[in-house]
Amino acid sequence: MTRTLTPSGDRFRSTDLTAPWRHVDTVLLGVVVLIVVTGTAMVYSATRNLAGGSGYMVRQGLFVVLGAALMVGISLIDYRRIADWWQVIYGLSLIGMAGIFTPLGAVVNGTKGWYRFGPFSLQPAEFAKLGVILAVAAYLSQSDRVDLRRLAVALGLFGVPTVMTLLQPDLGSALVFIVIALGMLVVGGVQMRHLLVLVALGLVAVLGILNSGTLDQYQKDRLTSFVTPDGQSYNVSQAQQAIGSGGLTGYGFTKGPQTRGGYVPEQETDFIFTVAGEELGFVGAGALVVLLGLMVWRVWRNAQLAGDTLGTLICVGIMSMMLFHIFENIGMTLGIMPVTGIPLPFVSYGGSSMMTSFAAVGLVQSVHMHRYA
Amino acid sequence: MDTKSRQVRLSALGIVALSLFLALFVRLWFLQGIDRQKFEVASASNRLRVIHEEGPRGRILDRNGKVIVDNRTSRVVALDREPLRKMDDDERNAHFEELARTMTELGRPTKVALIQKRYDDKRYAPQEYVPIVEDVTEEVEIHLSERAERFPGVVVETRSVRSYPYGSLAGQVLGYVGEINEKELVAKGGTLPAGVTTTDPPETTTTTPGVPPKPYQPGDLIGKSGVERSYEDYLRAVPGSRTIEVNAKGDLIDVVKRETPRAGDDVWLSIDIDLQAEAERLLAAKIDSLRGRTDKTGARFNAPQGSVVIQEPTTGQILAMASYPPFDPSSTVNGISSELWAQLNDSANGQPLYNWALQGMYAPGSTFKPFTAFAAMSSGLLPTGNESYPDNGVYKLKACKGTKCEFRNAGGTPHGRVNVPRSLTVSSDVYYYWIGEQFWVGRDRFGDTPIQDAAAKFGIGSPTGIRLPGENSGRLPTPAARKEAYEANPGKFATGDWRTGDNIITSIGQGDVLVTPLQLVDAYATLANGGTRYRPQIVSKVTRIKDAALPPGQEGNFDVVTTVEPEALGKVDMTPQQHGQIVSGLVGVTQSGEGTAAASWRASPTAWPMAGKTGTAQVRGKADTALFAGWGPTGPGAVPQYAISVVVPEAGFGGDVAAPLAFRILQPLSHGQLTPACTVVDRSACDMAALAANQASQSDVGSGGPG
Repeated sequence: MTRTLTPSGDRFRSTDLTAPWRHVDTVLLGVVVLIVVTGTAMVYSATRNLAGGSGYMVRQGLFVVLGAALMVGISLIDYRRIADWWQVIYGLSLIGMAGIFTPLGAVVNGTKGWYRFGPFSLQPAEFAKLGVILAVAAYLSQSDRVDLRRLAVALGLFGVPTVMTLLQPDLGSALVFIVIALGMLVVGGVQMRHLLVLVALGLVAVLGILNSGTLDQYQKDRLTSFVTPDGQSYNVSQAQQAIGSGGLTGYGFTKGPQTRGGYVPEQETDFIFTVAGEELGFVGAGALVVLLGLMVWRVWRNAQLAGDTLGTLICVGIMSMMLFHIFENIGMTLGIMPVTGIPLPFVSYGGSSMMTSFAAVGLVQSVHMHRYA
Repeated sequence: MDTKSRQVRLSALGIVALSLFLALFVRLWFLQGIDRQKFEVASASNRLRVIHEEGPRGRILDRNGKVIVDNRTSRVVALDREPLRKMDDDERNAHFEELARTMTELGRPTKVALIQKRYDDKRYAPQEYVPIVEDVTEEVEIHLSERAERFPGVVVETRSVRSYPYGSLAGQVLGYVGEINEKELVAKGGTLPAGVTTTDPPETTTTTPGVPPKPYQPGDLIGKSGVERSYEDYLRAVPGSRTIEVNAKGDLIDVVKRETPRAGDDVWLSIDIDLQAEAERLLAAKIDSLRGRTDKTGARFNAPQGSVVIQEPTTGQILAMASYPPFDPSSTVNGISSELWAQLNDSANGQPLYNWALQGMYAPGSTFKPFTAFAAMSSGLLPTGNESYPDNGVYKLKACKGTKCEFRNAGGTPHGRVNVPRSLTVSSDVYYYWIGEQFWVGRDRFGDTPIQDAAAKFGIGSPTGIRLPGENSGRLPTPAARKEAYEANPGKFATGDWRTGDNIITSIGQGDVLVTPLQLVDAYATLANGGTRYRPQIVSKVTRIKDAALPPGQEGNFDVVTTVEPEALGKVDMTPQQHGQIVSGLVGVTQSGEGTAAASWRASPTAWPMAGKTGTAQVRGKADTALFAGWGPTGPGAVPQYAISVVVPEAGFGGDVAAPLAFRILQPLSHGQLTPACTVVDRSACDMAALAANQASQSDVGSGGPG
């Protein structure tokens, strides 16, 4: 009688409170599910009038399924076990990126950053971001103090992929590496004075790059066009027209005229936020921003709650990556950031971005789930 | 690094994240909450295009509801310039060359230069289609649409164009339509497209009171001549529009708003198309039979043109208005090439575009005599009209010596004693010379211009006011006008003085007197009805069709928009005595044995007696102008139904040419045996009738004399 009444009670008592599956961050999971659902809907709206529109949805669905599986898989593995392999992971990331420069690499939108397999293409820099985060987190967490030597090694770990993305040239991804570095170094314990010197050097470097011949004019224009709205590019003005005309409540799902007419180039990938802005209005687009904010908040919270420095740094790196992706991507469509080709996590169409985002959340979950292990 | 300072740094990172998200929110609100309208407008102008849609013009019907001008659909190969603008010059040129080559291969020779010119034409709004080749076959449309990807920016659209079931019948009365020009556009209150200017002063606005304004834009059709022009405000459709949404490539996504155009109103002429056909057929046959022949002096009967006008004397309505050579408006539906324009206005060709019935001006000759007779009776010079004068064929001026003082009857024929009626019947010139001299000699009593004043009351010398463009005013010479012209240009004239001789030749409708055939018929209609001068009307009513699927002229299938009522412009103060004298003289012309048109009336008699007057006007260096004007029926208690004027220049005697033609036209009408007009698709009956007309014209019976 008793056994039948309290079967769960028995199990409760016999259960290990530190078991990973008990510590899933369900809020993060729920937020990600909502973002993916919204994002998929936006991709549907953006691609339904394109040639081969249904193909986009099939592929995006596949990416979501694969990504979700990847997330679950990674979250079940203790992040420390993964970090043990950081040299290998880092090496593979670099090899993947270097392979772009062989004849295997394909050029998309003027950037040599892709491998192409039939209808699919793979952007190794997306995956490399996670590899670098893991590597730096693992390296920095080996010691409590970050002296100049360790700082130099960490900078080196960041520097190599950054330079490689600049060579593609993929300015956006390079910036992502720099921002990740900044976040991880700050939280990783770099001394304040070193940090200030670094920032100063960085500023000098940016000015130097802008004034040297390294960047093509179009890149400079992209970078500066948001400062001088008169010279706005077609992309930016069309994006703002789409978002602005959405108003408070938007035109309604699949009813956005700018979206329907395909006026915003890349509206299914980098400019996906214009679809949300136009069709869902301030209410819907604002809600999407809130969801993305909640996601970043949960990652930040997991950084705080992490069981060790390694976990904290992994979360900080991922948070920095997400934060920059979100702010740069949405900011670019709103005209407050320069136009660079980086996707909106979980929302933009594209396999590399989708899988990387899922893998990143998987890592964060792993940090959260295995914090008592 | 201790946990506490890590937490501090993490918090700092959190604050950075929070502020970045706040920045996104503020910016999002700024775009969507505050600047929304600005972006809405920008987005709308981006994707919405308003396409102007012309509606079908109103039809033109004859007085019995037979459709004379209809609409049909024409396929037009046109350019949508939106995608073409995105090409570079070389690519576009190659594209134009291929299009020109393809059109030429399809049997419609087209020049690249024309396509380029149309492409650059600023008169079309940027989003509007510009026509390249009009009226192509369905095969061309299929050929192009099957290869749409090879011809970006090339569309085949359908347009409504005019069709003319009766071919060239009444062509000059109907007029033609064409693309509105800058001048007309400004006059109609339209705005010129950017970059186009016109130096011409705007035309005087011709808006009809009570008709709602119908906006125009470049490329629209407008009536250029005839009724198409004068009744434009009724005929034109109220244009509609389609607001369409296009995508970034310019492809149509959706029709957002559609305002259907409303068809124009139908205009019913006063013309009876069957009578018109009869008049045109017989006029053409007459002119054919004349050409190549010569008169006794050797002057060639060129008969370069001719006109017949038939009017209803009790209303002023024009029943037929024939002008030779004919003009076929269907030759203009695809635009008028410069070759066609030259041909239509070539005087060697008789200027087919001219409506000679109201644009031609001719010396009236003896057809003027009734007005001189009326002047003599009403002024008191010949109070009864029975005052007689011995006509021995020659009139000698009283106060003059020598042969220059002699004025002869045509051919010098003596007519014996003549009074007003008989002078008209036999067409005595001497009697009118006598009147002319007495008027001038007695100008202290009669004034300078008793003849001209009398003629003016019948409408001679000023436009009749018919609602058709281009009417000429004719001319009534006066001493004052002569003097004025001389003083303005002394070198051009021998003298500025008006002499007795001028009065004498004016009295018989020669000298500087000129009338239009329309004025002549209106003046005789005025005589016929006892003195009321009506405005000649070319339109009887304007209607709006109820069921577009049914014929527009079908009883009960239309609402009357406006009915044209008879409009009396003046009343000639004529006593029954004066009127009787003139009418009896004119009846004698056809009924008395010595009448100048008696023989030809007997050759093709109308069902009732007719009153009328022949005229043979001399023109220096050319064969005579043959004229006849009259009406029927006439007689005690008869209501005049048809007034007619026939004028054929360089044709010979009025009694030989014009009078027989007039009777032959009216004869079947008076017997109720008018041949129905033939449509272009079924000409057999008319070809037979034309053959018969030709044969009859060869053997016309005339009086054998001038007058």
